[in-house]
Amino acid sequence: MLGANPEYPGPKRLGPELERLRREGVPTDTDWLEYCLGCHRCDLACPHQVGVSEMIAHAKARHRKTLIRALRDWWFARPGLIGKLSTILPALSNFGLAMKPARLVMSIFMRITPLRSFPKYKWDKGRKSAAAAGDRPRVLLFPGCSIRYNEPDLGHKIVELLERNGFSAEVAATECCGVPATANGQSGVARSLARANVKLLSAQVEAGVRIVTACSSCGHRIKTAFGGVLDEDQALGPKARKIAESTFDLAELLMEQSDAGKLDTGFQTTNLRLAYHAPCHQKSQGIGRPWFHLLRQIPGVTVEDLDAGCCGISGTFGFKQEKYGASMAVGKPLFDGIRAAAPEFVTTECATCQMQIEHGTALKTIHPAEVLLRAYRPAGQEAGSDSVRQNEPAPVG
Amino acid sequence: MQSKSFDVVVVGSGIAGLTAAAAAARQSLRVALISTGPGSIALGAGWLKAEPMGPAAEAAELSEALAFFCETSRLAGCPLMGDIDRPRPMPNYLGSFESVAFAPQRLWNAGGDGMASTVIVGIRGLSIFDENFMAERLNERVRVAGSPYAYKARQIALSHDFGTPSTVLQIGLCFDRDPAFRAELMAALRTAASGFERILLPGILGLHSSEWMLAQVEAELGCSVCEIPTLPPSILGLRLFHRLQSYLHSNGVELFAGFPAQRLLLRDGMCAGVEVTAPGHPMTLRGESVVLATGRRSAPLLNEPIAGCDAHMRPISSAGDLLAQNLFLAGTLAHSGLGHPGDTMRILSGYRAGTFAATTRGAYAS
Repeated sequence: MLGANPEYPGPKRLGPELERLRREGVPTDTDWLEYCLGCHRCDLACPHQVGVSEMIAHAKARHRKTLIRALRDWWFARPGLIGKLSTILPALSNFGLAMKPARLVMSIFMRITPLRSFPKYKWDKGRKSAAAAGDRPRVLLFPGCSIRYNEPDLGHKIVELLERNGFSAEVAATECCGVPATANGQSGVARSLARANVKLLSAQVEAGVRIVTACSSCGHRIKTAFGGVLDEDQALGPKARKIAESTFDLAELLMEQSDAGKLDTGFQTTNLRLAYHAPCHQKSQGIGRPWFHLLRQIPGVTVEDLDAGCCGISGTFGFKQEKYGASMAVGKPLFDGIRAAAPEFVTTECATCQMQIEHGTALKTIHPAEVLLRAYRPAGQEAGSDSVRQNEPAPVG
Repeated sequence: MQSKSFDVVVVGSGIAGLTAAAAAARQSLRVALISTGPGSIALGAGWLKAEPMGPAAEAAELSEALAFFCETSRLAGCPLMGDIDRPRPMPNYLGSFESVAFAPQRLWNAGGDGMASTVIVGIRGLSIFDENFMAERLNERVRVAGSPYAYKARQIALSHDFGTPSTVLQIGLCFDRDPAFRAELMAALRTAASGFERILLPGILGLHSSEWMLAQVEAELGCSVCEIPTLPPSILGLRLFHRLQSYLHSNGVELFAGFPAQRLLLRDGMCAGVEVTAPGHPMTLRGESVVLATGRRSAPLLNEPIAGCDAHMRPISSAGDLLAQNLFLAGTLAHSGLGHPGDTMRILSGYRAGTFAATTRGAYAS
C-alpha cells in the first residue's frame, strides 16, 4: 500500500503509534485505517516481532465509518451469510449479481464498484465415492467460503489429491474463518465465527485429525488461533491454540509427504509455462514455498515464482468503490511481472488473488491443486507415455 | 528434492549473514537464509566506513573478503568500490565528513570538495535534508582550503502532495513506481543542475535502482550525480540490501523471511538444523552446516555462554569445548571480545564462516 500510495501513513503509524495514543486517551481515528490490506507484511518486516497488524485490527474495530460504508462493510464482513443466501438459488443469485442495473444500484447505494464481477455461486452436488479410510492418517479440509459456496468441486478435487497421497480426507462443514470480519472492523463477528469453528473442529483435532486449508487466508487465520480473538476465552482459547497447532496448508502437507518420499509422483510430462503468485497470507505462514517446489516436480512444467508483492485485492477491499483505484495500483507490479513472464496461465491458491489477477491481466488463474491433479497420469497408465498438453483454459476478461 | 534440507543454513540477513550466504552459494550449494526483517545493512548508509582493523595477520584475508563482497555487490547491480587502505572523507547530510572506505559510484562523486562547481539540491517539504545548512557547512571547509569553488544551494518543488513533512522513503517509492513523478523530478533536477558540473541531492533515486539506471539518470542530467545518505533507513542502505537479497534469491538461495530462529537442533556435538517460529507450529530447516549471524541478541540460541571461536569460526564454550562441529558464527556474535565490530570485520567473519560452512560439510576438522 505504501508503495502504491506514498501518502498512506504506513503500518508503524497506524499500528503501534495509534495504539499508544489510544491508550493515552488521545483521539486517533483516521480513514487511513481502512486502507490497511491486512497482508501481515508489517509483521514479517519487524525484526522484533511486534504484532503490528493486530494493533491495526484493534484500531479498525474502533474506527467510525459513514453510514453507507458501514452498511456495505456489514455485508462484506459476512461472506458466509452471503454464501448461504446465494446458494439457496444460485442461478438466480448469479443472474442478479451480474445484472448491470443491480450493479449500478449497488454502486450508488452501497459503494460497491461495478468494475468487478462477483464470484459465481454453485450448489455442492456432493462427491460420488470416497476412498476407504483404512489406517491412513485422517485430515479434514477447512473449505473456507470460496470452496464452500463458489467452488465446491475444487474441494472434492483437493480431497482426491489428498487421498491419492496417502490421506483419508473429507470436507468439513465449517463457518467463515473470520478474516473478512476483522478486515471490515467487525471484531464481534470475528469472535463468534471463531467460537463456532472451534466448536466444530475441536473434537476432531483432539482425536488426532489434522486440519488442512487450501486457502492461504483461512490457513493463516486458523494458525494464528483465529487471529487471537479467543485468547481471553478460558474454555475456547486453549482449544483454538490446539487447532492452530494441528493446521497445515495443503501444500505444506503435500511437501511433507514429498520430503518423506511419499508423494505420488505419477505425473505425465506436461509442457506448460506457469507463473506462480504466493499470496501474502501464504508468506505470513512461514512455511517456505511449498507450491513452487511441488509444481516444479511435474516434468515439462516451468514455474516462475513472480515474487512481485501483494495483488492488492485483499478480499473485499478491492470491491469497495473508493478503494478500487488503490487496489489496482497495489497490484500493478504483479500484473507487470505476469505480463513480462508471459505464462500460459497463472496459478495461486487464494481465491481473491485469482480474481484480481484475472481482472488485472485477463489471464486464466487457477488453484495449484488443480494443476497438480491434472498432471497425474490417469489410473492404470504407465510411466513414459506420451507427453500431453493440459487443456488450456480459455482466457477470460 | 528435499524442500527443507540444505547444505548450508544461514541465520540472519545483516551484512555478515548476506556475505556468508553469498560465499556458500557461489559453490553451487543449496543455501537457506533465515531472516526477521531487514538486517543491519538496510539501516546503514550504503557505504562501508574505514574502521580500526583487526590483527595484522588478518589483513590479507580481510582484503580477500572485501574483494568478494565488492564483487557480489557488483553482480547484484549496486557495485561498491574503494580501498580499505585509502579511506576518503565523504560529506554527510549535515555537511560534516566521514571517513569512507567503500561506496557506490554515486557516493564517490561527492568526494573531492572544491574540485568542481557543485549545487546541493533540496526538496520542498522534505524532512531531514536541509540544502542551505549543508552548503553553509561545506563552504566553511572550502574557505579554509582556499578552493575557487563554492557550494550553491537550490530547492525544487514537486507537485505531488506527500503531506508535510515528506520522507525520502515516500519519494524513493514514488521514483520506483511512477513514471510521471520521475519525469517531473528529472525535469526539476535538470533545471536546478544547469550550469553546474556536479549535483548533490538526498538519497531518493529509488529503493531498487541498479547502477545502470543511476548512470542513465546521470546521463540525462548531464552532470555528476551524488546521492547523500540521510538518517536510517536511508534509501542507499535499503537499495543495497534489496539488491543483495534479490541477487541471492536469483542465485538459488532460498529465503525464509519474517520469522526468527527459536532453537538450534544441537545434539551429540552437531547442529542438525534450525527450528524457526511460525504461526501454528514451528518449521524445521535441516542443514549440513549452520551459520549463525544474528547479532548478540540471539546469543541465548547457543544455550551456554561462549568464550570465543576456533580458527574455523566455530563457537567454543567457556570450558574450552566446541559447541558443534558444524556450527559457525559470523557478525557481532563472532566478535564477542571486540566490542562493536565494524562492517568490514562483519564482512570478514561472514566470508570466513560461509566459506568454512561450505567447504567442511561432512568432513569436520576437530
